[in-house]
Amino acid sequence: MKIKEFFAEHRRLWLGLSSVLFVLAAWEMLLTYVFPLNPFFFTKPSLVAVAFKEQVIYGALWGDLAVSSKAFLWGFSFAVLLGIPLGALMGWRRTAGYTLDPFFTALYASPLVALAPLIIVVFGVGLFAKSVLVFALSVFPFIFNTFAGVRSTDRLLINVVRSFGGGEKDLYFKVILPSTLPYIVAGARIALGRGLVGIIVGEFYAASEGIGYAISRFGDTYRLPEMFASIFLLMITAVALTEGMRKLETVLAPWKTTQETR
Amino acid sequence: MGAPLIQARDITLVFKSKDREPVTALRDFDLEVGKGEFVSIVGPSGCGKSTFLNLLLGLIKPDSGEMKLDGAPITGPGQERAMVFQEFGLLPWRTVRANVELGLELKGVPSPERSARATELIKLVGLKDFERHYPHELSGGMKQRVGLARALATEPEVLLMDEPFAALDAQTRDLMQAELLQIWQQTKKTVLFVTHSIEEAAYLSDRVIVMTARPGRAKEALKIQLPRPRDYEMRLTPQFNELKSRIWDVLKEELTSRG
Repeated sequence: MKIKEFFAEHRRLWLGLSSVLFVLAAWEMLLTYVFPLNPFFFTKPSLVAVAFKEQVIYGALWGDLAVSSKAFLWGFSFAVLLGIPLGALMGWRRTAGYTLDPFFTALYASPLVALAPLIIVVFGVGLFAKSVLVFALSVFPFIFNTFAGVRSTDRLLINVVRSFGGGEKDLYFKVILPSTLPYIVAGARIALGRGLVGIIVGEFYAASEGIGYAISRFGDTYRLPEMFASIFLLMITAVALTEGMRKLETVLAPWKTTQETR
Repeated sequence: MGAPLIQARDITLVFKSKDREPVTALRDFDLEVGKGEFVSIVGPSGCGKSTFLNLLLGLIKPDSGEMKLDGAPITGPGQERAMVFQEFGLLPWRTVRANVELGLELKGVPSPERSARATELIKLVGLKDFERHYPHELSGGMKQRVGLARALATEPEVLLMDEPFAALDAQTRDLMQAELLQIWQQTKKTVLFVTHSIEEAAYLSDRVIVMTARPGRAKEALKIQLPRPRDYEMRLTPQFNELKSRIWDVLKEELTSRG
């Protein structure tokens, strides 16, 4: 009875965990007993685990991750710092909105990774170019979500604050900002994914270190277990960041999250 | 009663918009409300009764006519007036307490005083156990209690109520009406109450103003001479029903004249 209750309570956890384990086990079995593995073209979990251990404990993967993180943080920070005010400006001032919208829409819609070669030609190989690429990819979700948030601010609430004698500043800080915050956090989640694409693609093209470089280097030399180990490390980082973002949302917008879980 | 507290004379307001014909919301609208009086405005949909409240609140300005409060012209939002909105207008990111404090905060009342005042009003509207809740966790009736507390917190002389109970279910509405009457009797506010419901208007008010169809004018004012305090049973008396049908007779012409 106790065990049953435990499973009932943590259903999400054990179902999620067992499905992952099942896929890994199936992958392992398939390549061990059904199609014998050709290590040149594919790999299996046990080999990846060994490579992961070696790379993470003794190898250079942490260094690679640190290098990538640095570029990511620079690019992402500037995306926040520029994207939010730009989006807010577009939302507040029609003229600014109408003027800037065509450019941003076109840039947001197109696959900006196509600019990677150009960025590298202009800015060279290294931290700066990678940061620029991360920035270019992650700034638009901030712009557009802030814009949408500001525009969808409830008119009634504006009137409420005005009716109590609130001025322009009160409208910004007591109504528009808090009502836009959840949009910004949602934008941040999208920007995160796009920024990671930016960093990896940047390092694929031209780099001598970084997690993207590690993936392509191991791939080029047919060291598939190591390549997968790098990919998994990247995945873990991405999941951690996304979850962190979700936590941030509960801190910044408690009224929103309690609403969703209901 | 002395000089009226609210004086509106010859108010005309035309809504102009680029793609549509201008709409005259109010034309030569007159109204006087005495201090401490409870006045309801009923009228056909779109006759400008809510618009009139927004004018009094100072959110919009009339095209012509004058509005005075205690002899001084109304030029914008002010301390002496507070509105209770139909759709509550609570800030979703603020708890009940913080919502009640909003008006005080905007008027620059220092924090300890704000907090004491909020405590008092939260108690008055019976939400003591909910002060840390967010609006989405409350029922409609509770939300409007917060709206009422928020308006009363700034100690206005005039309470403007724009169909405040229209979004509530019938039982909650009855309950809220009774509570409003109680609070009104305690606080002695002047209340201007816009509603669709003849029954609500007759039950609550000292006077009911019936408006014409758009462009809205005050068509007739009916005194409600029922004893106070009023209770629910009073609504079942023949006297009350007669009053209702008198209001209805006046209003009916306006409804039928529009088809």
